[in-house]
Amino acid sequence: MTSPAPETRAGTPTAGNPRPTRVVIVDDHAIFRSGLKADLDPDIVVAGEAGTVEEAIAVIAAQRPDVVLLDVHLPGGRGGGGREVLAGSAPLLGATRFLALSVSDAAEDVVSVIRAGARGYVTKTISGEEISAAVRRVAGGDAVFSPRLAGFVLDAFGTAPADIADDELDKLSARELEVMRLIARGYSYKEVAKELFISIKTVETHVSAVLRKLQLSSRHELTRWAAERRLL
Amino acid sequence: MTTAPARPPLVRSGDRVIAGVCAGLANHLGWPVHMVRIGMVVAALAGGAGVAFYGWLWIMVPTADENARRNARRPASPIAPAVSAPAAPIGSGSSGGRWSGPDVPGPQETGPRETRPPGPGPQGAESQGAVSQGSWWSKAPGMPFGKEILLGAGLLLAAGILIARLLGVDVPLGTLIPVAAILGGAAIAWMQLDETRRAGLVDKTKADQAGGWARLAAGLALVVAGVLVMVSGSGSWEQTWLALLASVAVLGGVALVLLPWGLKFWRDLETERAGRVRATERAEIAAHLHDSVLQTLALIQRRAGNEHDVIRLARAQERELRAWLYQDADKESGKLSESVKAAAAEVEDALGQAVEVVSVGDCVMTQRHDALVQAAREAMLNAARHGGGTVSVYLEVVDDAAEVFIKDRGPGFDPDSVPPDRLGVRESIIGRMNRHGGTAAIISSPDGTEVRLRLPVTAAPAVANHTNGEAKP
Repeated sequence: MTSPAPETRAGTPTAGNPRPTRVVIVDDHAIFRSGLKADLDPDIVVAGEAGTVEEAIAVIAAQRPDVVLLDVHLPGGRGGGGREVLAGSAPLLGATRFLALSVSDAAEDVVSVIRAGARGYVTKTISGEEISAAVRRVAGGDAVFSPRLAGFVLDAFGTAPADIADDELDKLSARELEVMRLIARGYSYKEVAKELFISIKTVETHVSAVLRKLQLSSRHELTRWAAERRLL
Repeated sequence: MTTAPARPPLVRSGDRVIAGVCAGLANHLGWPVHMVRIGMVVAALAGGAGVAFYGWLWIMVPTADENARRNARRPASPIAPAVSAPAAPIGSGSSGGRWSGPDVPGPQETGPRETRPPGPGPQGAESQGAVSQGSWWSKAPGMPFGKEILLGAGLLLAAGILIARLLGVDVPLGTLIPVAAILGGAAIAWMQLDETRRAGLVDKTKADQAGGWARLAAGLALVVAGVLVMVSGSGSWEQTWLALLASVAVLGGVALVLLPWGLKFWRDLETERAGRVRATERAEIAAHLHDSVLQTLALIQRRAGNEHDVIRLARAQERELRAWLYQDADKESGKLSESVKAAAAEVEDALGQAVEVVSVGDCVMTQRHDALVQAAREAMLNAARHGGGTVSVYLEVVDDAAEVFIKDRGPGFDPDSVPPDRLGVRESIIGRMNRHGGTAAIISSPDGTEVRLRLPVTAAPAVANHTNGEAKP
């Protein structure tokens, strides 16, 4: 859904690196965890699994994986689900990256985990190849945007490009808007790069910038948009 | 008396002087209201028959709101419409019903996410309270008038008594005043406890609840004082005050003893009511899951050998469940995004390929948008048929145009050398868009094909008058 697998391997820093990417899978359904484990590429090693908020925080702290595949809805804790795991693992956010996984693509679920610090969001219907690519991308420090997440971003920030007078965090630049639109249309990063005559690295930079804005912006419209969807 | 075959039900009207009895009666009988009122007053003067009749009707006849509520079968719940709505067409709906027998889901089968759907929770109950409370207060402006009439009647009565005394008639004031006090107090208290009023008192969000209680207390005090004066007979003030003090003390003591019990009873009642709301909600969720999810699972088990059917069933069920859980039906009905999603669902059902729709912005459907949706549907069919894999659909509505992009990852084709059988398809995409003042472009490469449809708000003058409805939400 997010991006086709093969070309990402070459673009990420882990390419050719003998050290495998270590992941922790956090999901309350054991069937899903084992299915996901079987689906992941061999160079991705599952270092641990957890089924509740408390387990997840403990396993992540003990294993310090590169990437955590985090279900949005989790039992335990104070009912905060994936967001609570992110909050509980805040000191590790620099080294450990979180990729949110969920069956839900409701705006409140998606945007709340992104704002809590996740580097990407994919739905559980994603194929093994795609999720492996997404894991590598997140491990490399980039963001993973699904078409739907791009759609939410466009909805939240509006489709008009930023003026010079605007606060930098409050609007997307014309280029970022173009990138988001293409991702929403189902383009992979490579296709976006080709369409806009820029490098994949530049696309990744734009996407990361959008992610940062989504996480940090306190823009009035974003707040209202979120409030309408009961996010805040 | 009357032979009218169908007359309005006898309910107490909101257009009230005291309790709406006369207005309701007049409405029921088809007589003018003031005639009924005058008749009632005359009857009241004729030995109090009217008063008794009035009181009896007051007690026995429900208000319009109560009547409506009594007639309503189910509690109002936001989920109810979703459940009663027909489930999405689920593939080849053959003999799924046979399997439904043993599958009645217990509450625990509804899964861990059961609490997630936007539940009505307390709102359901609140909205009911709001209805009755609103009805009483919307009539409040009529009440001062009624109060003035009551006051006038009282003053007239007092004047009549005074005149009678001046004329030398012996009026037994000693019993009349207490009786009047008792009647007045009872009337005030009863008006408070009139069922519509009670709903208002019960409602915690009510601002002037204190005022209601104060009036209730005043009525109570009047009655107590009246009874005391009557019992103590002579009406000597000192005695009365003492008795009053004693009785208030007794009442206070009784209240002190009974208050915890009352509160506990009240809380139990509230808990029970909340529990009932929750149980109804759960039953509705269970019913929905039974009608949709369990049926689909049964179908999937029976068709496990056919991968295509299984995927299609699962997709259709997923879509239906998502719509039920996350979509605000009122907000999206009649909108362009809904139509595009419906077209995508149709294509998914027909061809079994996943069609993912992402929409940004929205607008009200017009005739021209219909053409856009039809063209998009055609493009989706094409993409699902020839592309293979997931079809991505992106709808964006901005101020000056609506755009739809349909992308697949098929082998692609050369638009210039399309075989003759594709001409019809291209006609129904490009031709249709052009006819409605829009544009269509097909970009194809070995990596996939994208169809880009654009429909400007203001297009050819011939159809420009259709665009009024297009506004950004």
